[in-house]
Amino acid sequence: MIEQGFADLLADHLPEAPRPITEQVRLRDAGLDSVHSIDLLLAIEDAYGIEFPAHLLNDETFDTAGSLWAAVDGTVRGAASPAGNGGRYG
Amino acid sequence: MADLLLETARADALWERLAGSGRLRGLYRDGDPAQGLDAAALRALFTELDAEETVGATLGVCVQSTTALPLLAAAARRAGDPAHPLAELVRDALAGRRTIGLAATDVTPGSDLAALTTTVTLAEDRLTVTGRKEWIANAGFASHLLVLARHGRGRGIGDFTWVVVPADAPGVTVEAADTPLFDGSGTGHASFREVTLPPDHLGGAVGRGLIDFSRHIAVERLASAAWGHAMCRRVLRETVAYLRGRGEGPAGLWAREEVRRRVAECLTATAGLGALIDAHADAVTGRHDQLAAALLKASAARTVEQVVAVAAHLQGARAFAAGGLQTLRAQAGLWSVGGGTYEVMLSTIADHTDRLLDAPA
Ligand SMILES: Cc1cc2nc3c(=O)[nH]c(=O)nc-3n(C[C@H](O)[C@H](O)[C@H](O)COP(=O)(O)OP(=O)(O)OC[C@H]3O[C@@H](n4cnc5c(N)ncnc54)[C@H](O)[C@@H]3O)c2cc1C
Repeated sequence: MIEQGFADLLADHLPEAPRPITEQVRLRDAGLDSVHSIDLLLAIEDAYGIEFPAHLLNDETFDTAGSLWAAVDGTVRGAASPAGNGGRYG
Repeated sequence: MADLLLETARADALWERLAGSGRLRGLYRDGDPAQGLDAAALRALFTELDAEETVGATLGVCVQSTTALPLLAAAARRAGDPAHPLAELVRDALAGRRTIGLAATDVTPGSDLAALTTTVTLAEDRLTVTGRKEWIANAGFASHLLVLARHGRGRGIGDFTWVVVPADAPGVTVEAADTPLFDGSGTGHASFREVTLPPDHLGGAVGRGLIDFSRHIAVERLASAAWGHAMCRRVLRETVAYLRGRGEGPAGLWAREEVRRRVAECLTATAGLGALIDAHADAVTGRHDQLAAALLKASAARTVEQVVAVAAHLQGARAFAAGGLQTLRAQAGLWSVGGGTYEVMLSTIADHTDRLLDAPA
C-alpha cells in the first residue's frame, strides 16, 4: 500500500493522473517524462529526507506509483539502518 | 575578450576580496556551502556586486558561488573524508584561492541537457572524460572544471555524473568564447580528449549528475533574479537622475508625463520581481523548489529586458556610448538564456498550473 502523503505528493506533480492514485498507476501514462521525473524526485527526496541511490535511478523505479513507492520506502528504511546505503558515495 | 592574464588577475583579486571580507562564507548557512545558501546574504551580495563589478565578473561569481561550490561541497560531505581532494578544493575555493567552472552545457542544445554527448567512462582505477563544453563562465581562468558527463547510454535521469577536471590535466584545452559582451567572466569553450583522472575526481555520486544539477541550479536562478532586481533598480535610479538633469526646468525631462509613465511601468515590473523574490527566496534556498526558481527566473528575464531597454531608450544617445545602457541591453539578453532558457522556465511553470491556481487535485 502506498502511503497517503506519497499519493498526495504524486497527485501534486501529476495533475493528469487518474484519482485516487493507486499502486497500479503507470507514471509515464500519467505524464511523467524525464524532466518531470527530476522535479518529482527532488520533491520526494526533500519530503522524506533521503537521497536515492544510483542503482534505483532507472525506468523500473519510475514505472508505476507502486514501484516508485517501493524505492522510496526501501531507501527510507535503508537510510535508517546502519548498513543502509543512503549516504553512500558512488 | 580582454587580455586573459589581466582577466585572470582581476578574477583572482575579486575572489580574494570576497573571501577576505567574509562575504563568500557569509553566503552560506553556518559558513558551509554544503548547508545551502542564506537568502538574505545572497540578495545583499548580488546587490553589492551589481553596484561594484562588471556584468562578466558578477556572472563568474554567480555560477561558482551559487552552483559549483555548493554542489562540490555536498559531494565532499558525502565523501566524508576531510582529506579527500574535493574537500580540499572546497576549502581552497572558500579561501578565494581557486576558481571553478560549472560545465554543463555541451555542443548539443543546452535546453536539453539529457542529450549531452560528453562522456565519462568509469573504470576501477580511473575516469576518462571525452567531449566538449561550450559557453562556460570562468573556463578561461578556472583551476578546475566541474563537468557534467554521460556514463550511461540512454537519456534516463540516472545516466549522468559530475567529474572534477583540473584545467591543466593532459587532454584539456580551453579557448575563449568570441564575444565582446562578457569581459571578466572568462567565458570559454573546453575540450576534453581522453582526459584520464583518478577515481576520486568524481564530483558526486555516480548517476546523480542531472539530479544534483537541478537541485543546485535552482539557487543560481534565484541569484540571477536577485542580481537582475538590483540591476533594474540601479538603472532606473540612474535614468531618473539623468532625466531630472536634462532639459528645461527643475525636473527636466522627468516632468514629462509620457516619460514618467514609461518609468512607472518599469517600476511596477521591478516591484513585482522584488515581491516574487520576497515570497519565494526561502523556498529556493531551503528546498530547491523548482517551480519557485522557474517563476523567479522567468520573471527576472522579462523584467530585466524590459527595464534595461526602456531605460536605455530614455537615455537617448548617451546610452550608445562605450559601456552605456545599450551594451547592458545586449548583456541583459543573458537572463532569458543562461542557466535555463525562458521557454524551459515557462514549461516548468505550466507543469504546475494546478498548484499555482490552487485547484483541487
Ligand atoms: C555568457 C554565457 C555564459 C554561460 N555560462 C555557462 C556556464 O557557466 N555553464 C554552463 O553549463 N552553461 C553556460 N552557458 C550556456 C547556457 O546555459 C546555455 O546557453 C543555455 O542553457 C541555452 O542553451 P543553448 O545556448 O544551447 O540554446 P538552445 O538550447 O540551442 O536553445 C536556443 C533557443 O531555442 C529556444 N528553445 C530552447 N528550448 C526550448 C523549448 N523547450 N521550447 C521552446 N523553445 C525552446 C529558445 O528560444 C532558446 O533560446 C552560458 C551561456 C552564456 C551566453
